[in-house]
Amino acid sequence: MKCIAISLVFFAISFNGLSTQITDTIYINSGVIQSFNGSNIPFKSYNNTAVFEKSNAILSYSVTDTVTLTVINNDSVAHQLRCYGLGVSAGAIAPGNQVDLSISSDSPGTFIYYDQEDYPNNKILGLAGMIVFRNSSASSFYWNLKEIDTLWVDEIINNGLTSTEYNPKFFLINGNHNPNINNDPMARVIGNVGDTILIHVANTGSSTHSIHFHGYHLELLQSSEHSNHQGRIKDTFPINPMQVLTLRMVPHQPGEYPVHDHNLVAVTGANIYPNGMFLTMLIDP
Amino acid sequence: MIMKRTVLFFIVLSCSIIGHTQQIVNHLLIARNLGEKVMHDGDTLRTFGFAQSLSEHPPIPGPTLYANEGDSVILDLFNVSQGAPHTIHLHGLDVNQENDGVPHLSFEVHHMDHGFYYFVAPHPGTYFYHCHVVSSIHVQAGMYGVFIVKPSDGSNTTWDGGYSFDQEKLYTMSEMDPVWHEDSVMDHPHDTTQSIHEVSIPEYHPTYFLVNGQSEHQLLEPDIALESAKEELTFLRMANIGYLANRITFPEALNAIIISSDGRPIVPAETSDTLWICPGERYGVLIEPLVDLTDAIKVSFVNMNTQFIENVQYIPVTVSGIIGIEEIAKESPFRIYPNPSSGSVHIASDGSPFDAIKIYDAIGNLVYVERQIIHGADDYQMNVSLSKGFYTIELLHNDRISASLKLVKN
Repeated sequence: MKCIAISLVFFAISFNGLSTQITDTIYINSGVIQSFNGSNIPFKSYNNTAVFEKSNAILSYSVTDTVTLTVINNDSVAHQLRCYGLGVSAGAIAPGNQVDLSISSDSPGTFIYYDQEDYPNNKILGLAGMIVFRNSSASSFYWNLKEIDTLWVDEIINNGLTSTEYNPKFFLINGNHNPNINNDPMARVIGNVGDTILIHVANTGSSTHSIHFHGYHLELLQSSEHSNHQGRIKDTFPINPMQVLTLRMVPHQPGEYPVHDHNLVAVTGANIYPNGMFLTMLIDP
Repeated sequence: MIMKRTVLFFIVLSCSIIGHTQQIVNHLLIARNLGEKVMHDGDTLRTFGFAQSLSEHPPIPGPTLYANEGDSVILDLFNVSQGAPHTIHLHGLDVNQENDGVPHLSFEVHHMDHGFYYFVAPHPGTYFYHCHVVSSIHVQAGMYGVFIVKPSDGSNTTWDGGYSFDQEKLYTMSEMDPVWHEDSVMDHPHDTTQSIHEVSIPEYHPTYFLVNGQSEHQLLEPDIALESAKEELTFLRMANIGYLANRITFPEALNAIIISSDGRPIVPAETSDTLWICPGERYGVLIEPLVDLTDAIKVSFVNMNTQFIENVQYIPVTVSGIIGIEEIAKESPFRIYPNPSSGSVHIASDGSPFDAIKIYDAIGNLVYVERQIIHGADDYQMNVSLSKGFYTIELLHNDRISASLKLVKN
């Protein structure tokens, strides 16, 4: 479960009308990702624990929740946490310090939280995750799309970003590449024919992605960039940097079907096919 | 196993088609890996692709395939490539897993073998077919085409009860990087015992930016250019199978309306002169110019990582004249006369058959249907009284449209 587990919700402390008070904690950690070509890539994440995990925490709450989120900075430099679209932001958090944020949403939706400090450098180094407010008992799955350009990472860590052309070699969902994405229970869609399944997608990278579904068309419930696209039924969904989508799928047939970026360069990793943004959905009868 | 599936399918099919007007549609695609494509600058690239005969280089894009909604489609993939196996992924058609064309989840077709794909054509719309074996390479190499599903009656209508149109044009965007077309990349290792092949891929730096496989001066060819009369309704099918995004800019005078995407209607339709199409997406756009025009549809190819425009191609657009009473008639094996008419109306044929007539008024309402027509060798008098106005007359044979003609009734 590790990093991909829904953020630990400790207790519902009190009720205020229909609102439920929730407390949660998130840690800013620094570490390295070991890529499949053997290299170590410096990385930073918002995690559920003080132990570094490559996947940013997925914060999933009910729309009736009012969340007090404690943000603890375990890194050696200052960071922030801003919830894009929710109007919530913490100023600079010094190393070793913490702040409490109050977060809620009147309506269901998928949002991005990220580091505004030294933007976009800390986001490029990994500090961006997904926060979801739900009002449905439907199964939910979560895809945080992100790429890594190791040259950009090296430059940011060392002398500052000077390259102008972004050329990522790693294309990840929740910090994983194919075939490991299928081992992530928060990412891999598993269900039955006739189920209502929600897929929350956040693009916290810097590239545009074009996510193609085999086997099914899905309904676009939310698009942070194109609200007039809501209700469209499609098999391929573009998503720009810092955009979120909420998709609804009601499978009509059983089977194992891929989902992947149809920019077919992004289904590679370190120039190896098919080690990129590719997973499968498993739908039972 | 393939043969077993075939027999079973025909048993099911023969039971299911009784009582329906829909048909069995057969398509043959021959997978080749020694194609050659001459680019706009005279250079020749090696390609993979799908052909319909062994005597031709595979066209890029591959042949456009058609079926009507509800038709039972049998797609025969014959691999004559001596290299990697191939498949057909029916992109957007939502077929079942066995027919989905992903090698480790369905089946792959080896050299000199046939593979058969079966499905019932779903929602009218624009879809892709493409190979899904090492798809990054095989799609770039040219193994893609468009599959069009027409409405159940095969008419020039976007879908049953949808928009009627006078003509349609298909524009498929893609790119080519010559490095990816070198033998060292195209002859990639393929271990058929592996469930997922791991293959080295070069960096992608395309230098050819294609519309229907053509670029630059090649886009001036009549089969690419958009020609229309004023008030003529043209349905544009626009599809991106490349690895860059496309930003399409329509001349304002085309009055573009985006009406569908990925085989489903867009409700409400979106009026816009700009359309983004990302890899794998397809859009339907209805245009109706009202003025004479010489211009171009601008196709920008945008890098998905940098968001920079890497290239711009232009699809020529010419709008002239009133929708072609004479122009259309001279292209058709049928002719309506007199036209305009204040009395009886006749249909002359060059011998081509038709057995039904549908007449639509100026706003697309079906106002007259005549079936079971038996006409002579070259002339048929319509038995209908029409009020003054502008009409579209569809001639059908075996429930498929043979011609769409315009009539002015005085």
